[in-house]
Amino acid sequence: MSAAAAPNSAQQSKSTPSDFLRTIRGRPVTVRLTTGVDYRGVLVQIDGYMNVALEGCEEWNGTQLKAKYGDAFLRGNNVLYISATSGAK
Amino acid sequence: MSGAQVGDASASAGAGSAGDVDATVKEPLDLIRLSLDERVFVKLRGERELRGKLHAYDQHLNMVLGDVEESVTTVETDEETFEEIIKTKKREIPFLFVRGDGVVLVAPPLRST
Amino acid sequence: MLFYSYFKSLVGKHVVVELKNDLAIAGTLHSVDQYLNIKLTNVSVVDPERYPHITSVRNCFIRGSVVRYVQLPPSGVDIEVLQDATRREARQ
Repeated sequence: MSAAAAPNSAQQSKSTPSDFLRTIRGRPVTVRLTTGVDYRGVLVQIDGYMNVALEGCEEWNGTQLKAKYGDAFLRGNNVLYISATSGAK
Repeated sequence: MSGAQVGDASASAGAGSAGDVDATVKEPLDLIRLSLDERVFVKLRGERELRGKLHAYDQHLNMVLGDVEESVTTVETDEETFEEIIKTKKREIPFLFVRGDGVVLVAPPLRST
Repeated sequence: MLFYSYFKSLVGKHVVVELKNDLAIAGTLHSVDQYLNIKLTNVSVVDPERYPHITSVRNCFIRGSVVRYVQLPPSGVDIEVLQDATRREARQ
């Protein structure tokens, strides 16, 4: 089924956006909404609408931590981008 | 039944599945399915927030909530001092249908998993 | 389809439709379609001080996309049925 991604040797240049989304499942990410607010957490799931489920989610406005949620669902239409965050915040 | 579901289960969207009452999160909306009959926090466009018991939802995030508390936050700027005045208005509504296009975030109650 | 069916079951009941422009319109739910467009009869405006212009309207059609909330009559909400229908639809 998954013809994609020969282990990790797959060249970055050949991977697609959806490959990227698959590789960051289970990893810490930052989701920026069009409002400018950031949500940081572990990416539990994502679908084709860019609906996102985050675990251990923090809401950041710039450098200010606004709120924490155990889990959070973000509606895809509000998503500007998703970036993989490395370990620490 | 229980094997690999989280990882690479399906390529793109939707991943329709037959398993019904399972507690796994295969797609983002499953997170909301698991919150049915629980109190949830909903963030909407326009600095609105709702807390209420989730009775129904669909794929657009249309929802019916019960015992809802809505809070609306407004920021007004004093015309002379330019001070920002932040006001929060709250009201309670017994049963409320919420149109999904205004939804930004849905957070289930804190769960121990 | 879930909420379409649900609103059909509320026809004849009193509801308050709150629009995205903050106008709130109370009335009797006359009909609804698949887009959740809504027709109300016996219309009254919840805050006539702020929205005097519409007080003469008796019936109206509301495009679904401009709706923010619909306040529902507690008697019209069968929680069990709603939740079951939601679970069924979630399985699609």
